[in-house]
Amino acid sequence: METAPVRAIAAGLFTGYDLGHFYDEMFSSPGIPRRAYATIFQRLASMAPGQFEERRKLADLSFLIQGITFTVYSDGRGTERLFPFDLIPRILPNSQWQQIDRGLAQRVLALNLFLQDIYGKQCILRDRKISRSLIYSCPHFRREMVGVEVPGGIFTHVCGIDLVRDSKTEEFYVLEDNARTPSGISYVLENRLVMTRIFPDAFHACGVLPIDHYPAELCRILRSLSPRGEDDAQIVLLSPGIYNSAYFEHSFLALQMGIELVEGRDLIVDGGIVFMKTIRGLQRVDVIYRRMDDEYLDPLAFRPDSLLGVPGLMGAYRSGNVALANAVGNGVADDKAIYAYVPEFIRYYLGEEPILRTVETYICAKPDDLAYVLEHLPNLVVKTVGESGGYGMLIGPAADRKTIEEFHNRIVQNPRNYIAQPVIPLSRVPSYDVSTRRLGGRHVDLRPYCLYDGKKVVIVPGGLTRVALQRGSLVVNSSQGGGSKDTWVLRGEG
Amino acid sequence: MLSRIAESLFWLARYIERAEDTARILDVNYHMLLEQSQDSYQLRWEPLIVMAGEEKLFRRLYSEVNAPNVFEFLAFRQDNPSSIIQCITKARENARTIRDCISREMWEDINGLYHMVGRFDPRDEIIAGPHRFCDKIKFGTHRFHGVTDATLPHDEGWQFLRIGWSLERAEMTSRLVDVQYQNLLDELPSVGTPDNHQWMAVLRSVGALETYHRQYHASIEPEKVAGMLILHPQHPRSIRFSTTEVQSGLRAISGSGLGSYANEAERLAGKLVERLRYDKIDEIFKQGLHSYLNELADMFALIGSDIAHNYFYYAVVA
Repeated sequence: METAPVRAIAAGLFTGYDLGHFYDEMFSSPGIPRRAYATIFQRLASMAPGQFEERRKLADLSFLIQGITFTVYSDGRGTERLFPFDLIPRILPNSQWQQIDRGLAQRVLALNLFLQDIYGKQCILRDRKISRSLIYSCPHFRREMVGVEVPGGIFTHVCGIDLVRDSKTEEFYVLEDNARTPSGISYVLENRLVMTRIFPDAFHACGVLPIDHYPAELCRILRSLSPRGEDDAQIVLLSPGIYNSAYFEHSFLALQMGIELVEGRDLIVDGGIVFMKTIRGLQRVDVIYRRMDDEYLDPLAFRPDSLLGVPGLMGAYRSGNVALANAVGNGVADDKAIYAYVPEFIRYYLGEEPILRTVETYICAKPDDLAYVLEHLPNLVVKTVGESGGYGMLIGPAADRKTIEEFHNRIVQNPRNYIAQPVIPLSRVPSYDVSTRRLGGRHVDLRPYCLYDGKKVVIVPGGLTRVALQRGSLVVNSSQGGGSKDTWVLRGEG
Repeated sequence: MLSRIAESLFWLARYIERAEDTARILDVNYHMLLEQSQDSYQLRWEPLIVMAGEEKLFRRLYSEVNAPNVFEFLAFRQDNPSSIIQCITKARENARTIRDCISREMWEDINGLYHMVGRFDPRDEIIAGPHRFCDKIKFGTHRFHGVTDATLPHDEGWQFLRIGWSLERAEMTSRLVDVQYQNLLDELPSVGTPDNHQWMAVLRSVGALETYHRQYHASIEPEKVAGMLILHPQHPRSIRFSTTEVQSGLRAISGSGLGSYANEAERLAGKLVERLRYDKIDEIFKQGLHSYLNELADMFALIGSDIAHNYFYYAVVA
């Protein structure tokens, strides 16, 4: 059932709102909200811009005081920027979420089985479902992990899987997997907290599912990994430290789970056991939720110049004296060239058809694909296989000739390092434009956070909706001027 | 508790205390000098630089010792590691590295203080004089003490904070007495009474004027002032009180009983507390105030490094 257009909007926040040629998450046609958005639309439409601006400032102040900021250290003092937060929520009716939830769970199971296999018996290689050379040429494939039995057989304890809705098909697609150390969950939880303070009544009226059980779920999984049993488990979160852009999240999660936040220098390995340095002497550590890339973990095993890691940590891990989450070597599963094979993994390991669609992907390591890509660069999105965070990307239609040429050369020199995909016209959600003080359609994606305990996949409803706040921009990464929104999954359809 | 956390708590507290003490001294000095002749007005800014221990840096940055320069230097200069703004920044930086170990209220309070300090425009404040700024700092640091006391469990982490600010306070009071006494004594008119106003200012800067009045009634005598700031058993800014706080904090962490000690820092703190308990001010003057305070300063430095060796540092294992 659609709601009748509200006349009052002419003077309000929605003045001049244009759906453009994109799928609009809020409106099915101009002035007609979709069912899930009906309630919030009524509230926003009846709100004066001044009133909205006031609430927006309140939200900003709240983020600033809580120190939920990015730090740019160029002047010695540290300039802090707010991670832009947009007050208009992104809403998913329950039925849509159920579909996503099932699709993600299936995908996480397949990724985990793939990792078990690739660092174990390598059946998938023997059955020739994927070529050896593609695996072994992956920069994040870790030979050190071959034959290692990880606790509970779990590699992907936490996965952040990026989804987008294609305006043409109106369906969700998986854009990429993040199986190493995905970040952003703290923004999900903090966004929610701020929203409940600023629009308290809307939550009840809309029937929004809660999300605050995430830290408890994560902690439960970490505890289960302890080699000395769960009761005495000493769990720590290993952070690169205060200068890491995700540091806020590290301390946030440590606090929420009631575990110790440690840096590499707080830990020491003695006789294959990991200890932390306390004021009462050394204390054994059982489980490390590490928020540090593989190559920095242990200077003895990986980069010898890393000062962030703990010498001997890999040895302790391989001996089973300490558990790491996520496992080492997961980068082979979220490699952007491997991405194209995940549907095949789902069929191979689970005997099921993939529930979620994936984007057509050209693997430049394949000669035919390479030829096509080089010819169609202005129409494609090119991605570096091992990168994340929106780095090393070419968006063909938005790039100038010089940039395209540059990428052309880079791809020719190292085809394995690149993949290409068609440009997806991302769906949009009304978002506040500070300069016009009106709402405009802005492109969004969605990153749900999937927890895997070895038996089932638990996903808190929703996830992080990232929004490209620049008008017309398709890049939602925070490092590239993106912001975020609270994501509401409804109990019903709205 | 991780050693790194304990160390950060210790320094967080020290920086907060240093910011407050600097603000107090700046504010009081300024007001005291309003009533002075122009000559002494210039002269009396010198000791503040000495107290902060940053004479060399000051000389490099400024050609003249005057009120606006000293105020700017001690309050706002980013390149002065002891400036109030730097102390608040470092306190907050320490808090940020351990925000999972302090209460949310503490973090939001110090983070708010940091942002508040950053909003001051030094040019406006230098014209307005130090009172407005210093008052905000004093209020801000007091509030942080209050929030800490009311929201953080009084466990060993809290004890490290207590030790941090007490040790810093003991050092600052000791320096204040030393520098001011030296300076004011040199200035004493050969005939007539010592300048009461200046000693009142010293007392005011540690918030001890009323306590002094209650104890000694009107007359302000330099020896009594010094005696009170060093030996008063209850005034929270006296050296004796602050040192006793350090000792109590150390004992609470190690669990040592009366008359015993668990480490070198405790032994020294205990020794110092006993000395301050039984010393009399005329004995101190007989020894020479400056040499006496120098000995205390050495002890504070030793206690600080012993705490670090005992609780913060691990020898590198080959």
